[in-house]
Formats: sequence, structure tokens, C-alpha cells
Amino acid sequence: MPSPTLVIRLEPSVAAVPDMLDRVEAYAEASELPPKTAYRLAVVCEELVANVAMHGAGGEDGATYVEIRAEREADRLRLSVEDDGRPFDPLAAAAPDVSLALDDRDIGGLGIHFVRSLVQEIAYERREGRNCLTALFEMV
Amino acid sequence: MQITTFKSGDVTVAVLDGRLDTATAAEAEQQLLGLLQEGAVVADLEGVRYMSSAGLRLLLKAAKLGKGKGVKFSVCASQPAVREVFEISGFNKIITAFGTRAEALAGS
Repeated sequence: MPSPTLVIRLEPSVAAVPDMLDRVEAYAEASELPPKTAYRLAVVCEELVANVAMHGAGGEDGATYVEIRAEREADRLRLSVEDDGRPFDPLAAAAPDVSLALDDRDIGGLGIHFVRSLVQEIAYERREGRNCLTALFEMV
Repeated sequence: MQITTFKSGDVTVAVLDGRLDTATAAEAEQQLLGLLQEGAVVADLEGVRYMSSAGLRLLLKAAKLGKGKGVKFSVCASQPAVREVFEISGFNKIITAFGTRAEALAGS
């Protein structure tokens, strides 16, 4: 049986996150993803969409949409997240130091760290006026 | 996200149920930080099946507020998936976590 493809096009806003997560969870269940992979997929989708909502939306050249696509390959899962906002590579941000003590930890900067830690590979590309992130997940 | 609370001695137990995500963290933060004004808090995470960095930010704020005020803040009963994000963010080293609610209450 061919695995379904997930395609979600949404407004780049925090308010769109709960419905997006419902649909990602439904997709994970329909494609019989292992629970850990399903969780990682949902977190990565949220972090990337929240990132566009908070940094890429608004203003003259702000994003008007974010599109998520996920597709199961043989033993991996491919996710792409695309928006039409100003050029922005979230992977260029420095990683937080996760070994610091409580007093020294900053509140924030964790989202992209999560994304990097939970995927096998991720790449950014600016293509035809859009920010495109492509990530691969191993099935765990 | 639903938060129900009850007192166990001087400690407030906050039982969280639902997703702790970008959309729900702000309201949960208001409640948890409010509870910490009154004393020690144990956040029971058994019903939290999903947590993103927004949820962790809120727990970090709570831990910092607790430390600043000299009141204990801990979490307990995290699901395995939530534990994974705790570990990759290094939070397992900076936020006190217990396996069960009973252990958390004994340690608070």
C-alpha cells in the first residue's frame, strides 16, 4: 500500500499551530510511523512553523504562507517546509550551550537546536523567492 | 492544555494535561508562575504527551523564578518522548525531575 503524502498549507501564525499538529498526528498514525519518529516530526514541524511565524512573518516582505510536505521513503521520512518570506536561514543561528547551569541558561534559542538534534539531515535553500528547508528523519 | 492543582502540605501539585506547545505555553506559564508566588510547585507531566521548545522555555522560567525566590520547583512523571527533549536540551541537568509524583512530594 503506498504511503500517503502530507501537505499542509497554513498561515504563518502561532494560532495555526494546534490544527497543524492535529493533522501531523493524524498523518503519522495513517502512515504507521513509529511513535518516536511521529513525535520528532511533530516537534520539528512546530519549531519550523513557529520560527516563520515569529521571525519571517509581518512587514513588507513577510511570509504569507508556510507549506509543510512529508513523505515516507523506504526507511526514512522526508519533510520539506517552505515559506515566501524574506530570505532567512534558521540553521545559521548559533547553537545554545546546553551544558550551562540554570542561572546562565537563556530563555530561548532552543527551537532550532531541537530541529538539528531530532533530524538525521537538514538543509536550507533559497529557491525562487522562497525559503526551503528539507529534513530527513530516520525511523526510530 | 488543562492544569488542575491541589495542595499536598505546603506544596502545590499542578497536573498538566494536553500538549505544551507554542499555542498553549503562554497560558500555562501564567498559571505556573502564579502558583510559584505562593510556594513550592511540583509539575506533574504524566498527561503531557507532547512538548516543544515553547514548553521547555516555560519550565526554565519556572525553575529560574523558583530559584530566585528560594522555593522548590520540580517536574515528575515525564513521558519518554518528553524526556528525550529534556535530554537534548540539557534540562535534565538543570531542572529537578522525579519518576513519580510520590517521589517528587517526598523530595519537595
